[in-house]
Amino acid sequence: MFKHLFKLIWNKKKQNSLLIAEILLSFMVMFAVFTFGVNSYRNYVTPMGIDYEHVWVINYNNSLKTTSSDSLALFYESLLRNIKSMPKVIDAGYSSNNVPFSSSHSSSGIKYDGEEFDRVNQFTVDDNYTNTLGAKMIEGRWYNKEDKAGKQRLTVINNSLKEKLFGNTTALGKYLTYGDDKAKIKIIGVVNDIKFDGDYQVAGPSMYGRADTSAYHWLSRILVKVSPDADAAFEGRLYKMMANTLKNSNIEIEHLDNKLTAYNKFTLVPLIILSIVAAFLIINVALGIFGVLWYNINKRRGEIGLRRAIGASGSSVSSQLVTEALILTTLSIIAGTFFAVQFPLLNVFDLPAGVYLTAIGLAIGFIYLVVIACSLYPGNQAAAIYPAVALHEE
Amino acid sequence: MIRLQNIAKVYRTTNIETLALNNISMDIAKGEFLSVMGPSGCGKSTLLNIMGLLDDPSKGSIQIANQETGSLNDKQLAKFRNQKLGFIFQSYHLINDLQVLDNVELPLLYRDTTARERKKLASEALEKVGLSNRMKHFPTQLSGGQRQRVAIARAIVGRPEIILADEPTGNLDSAMGNEIMDILINLNQKEGTTIVMVTHDENMARKTHRLVRLFDGSQVS
Repeated sequence: MFKHLFKLIWNKKKQNSLLIAEILLSFMVMFAVFTFGVNSYRNYVTPMGIDYEHVWVINYNNSLKTTSSDSLALFYESLLRNIKSMPKVIDAGYSSNNVPFSSSHSSSGIKYDGEEFDRVNQFTVDDNYTNTLGAKMIEGRWYNKEDKAGKQRLTVINNSLKEKLFGNTTALGKYLTYGDDKAKIKIIGVVNDIKFDGDYQVAGPSMYGRADTSAYHWLSRILVKVSPDADAAFEGRLYKMMANTLKNSNIEIEHLDNKLTAYNKFTLVPLIILSIVAAFLIINVALGIFGVLWYNINKRRGEIGLRRAIGASGSSVSSQLVTEALILTTLSIIAGTFFAVQFPLLNVFDLPAGVYLTAIGLAIGFIYLVVIACSLYPGNQAAAIYPAVALHEE
Repeated sequence: MIRLQNIAKVYRTTNIETLALNNISMDIAKGEFLSVMGPSGCGKSTLLNIMGLLDDPSKGSIQIANQETGSLNDKQLAKFRNQKLGFIFQSYHLINDLQVLDNVELPLLYRDTTARERKKLASEALEKVGLSNRMKHFPTQLSGGQRQRVAIARAIVGRPEIILADEPTGNLDSAMGNEIMDILINLNQKEGTTIVMVTHDENMARKTHRLVRLFDGSQVS
């Protein structure tokens, strides 16, 4: 029977090509939606890498007139000591603008062993960064005061960059360079990945440079870890202290958890829009498939009547029509899968192959479900056709 | 072979009730070639459909090959039709998207037969109707007479005991009609197939063993 149906479909390839194209298009749309969804879910379940609860970000603008790096360093170190000495402050540290969930990014290309790697995130932070954010070291160590005296440029990289550059071997003691810059930068530690773009974006390869005295000229963020009982009144006192210390500076205090919520909403917008578009497309496709099958059945009433006359039961007519729809779907899916597997093979969008393969599997399952759902009713209607009536109409 | 007892068929719409068959009883013996005649709308095709278990009678009972058919469910009816009955229609009812050989194989698809067996039986059936050289053709590439011969091959491929032919020569000129009639007579005489044929053509009807006439749903002779 399968061979017979395949032959029937093949001989009607012109009539079936439209349906095959429609299912193929739906498959590709669903593949895109599921790829986006699977990737977002995978990112969502990946640990954040930091404890962002009760972490505040103080934004200030560097308005001090002095040009001396040393006196500037003294001023800001003193400011940090004052913040740390406040009750309810657990730890605090300076950071470049690209604090977590800030949509501020800085990246540059690096070179290792003659090979170039583009778009490595760059952070400039101080010795207190990991303590303030609760990030964990995987290998080696974070910066400390002794690093201030050393002449060797140092860096701490995140786990993603470590895996990209060194795989399973250790990164400690290896040297990187920035593009064509000859100065070598020694890796002293590997820190866990931090999802600084929120729940739905994976941490990219990142490097954390130590903020030296010259960095105080441009640093404008302080991360403050506070105790859970730190309230608005305390926030007001912190604000007042900052405003008194940094005269003529605009001070703003934000909470990392609020920033994350806002950032997540921003990230979810395209996913929601895509889902709505996909839902409309699916409804269209389902109606299209339903319509085509319905039309086919009405066009084939004579054939259905004949099959019933020569020995087909109602259920076998119904299952024949559903099977025909499934064969057409399989042809579309084979073509669609051919296109879809090019994504992991050509590494389009730099996503793991597992994401694409899961999305292909989900898209296949979904399309089959839609086709079965849309062909069952017309199939049952066909089964109910009275052979004598159908043959007479013909 | 076929026993109809008090068969009546009423078609009902919201306002109208049409009596298509009225109290028809008949016995058709094994190996008999019976023709049914009557004016248009007298119930010939309805009678044939009821005999072929394609339609239910409103009243009465049908016994075919010693089997009371009223108690059979849809699956059993389908199996019964497949094994005991062969159908020939005025408009051939061939599937234009399938080649001649595939059209003839159709009834065997609903039996437990292998592809090789199906092909062998279909080829033999086509040989019997003189179309073994047209197996790979599509129905649209054949003449009316050839199409009807394909339909006959399809009806006999499963070696049914009964063939029900609804105006098999109705769409054909007299030469082709005679050819078809010869094939049916041959089937009846050589293989002992019981044939019930609905026709408008007196000449064709005269070639059969017995003629039954219907008028306004009733048997008049």
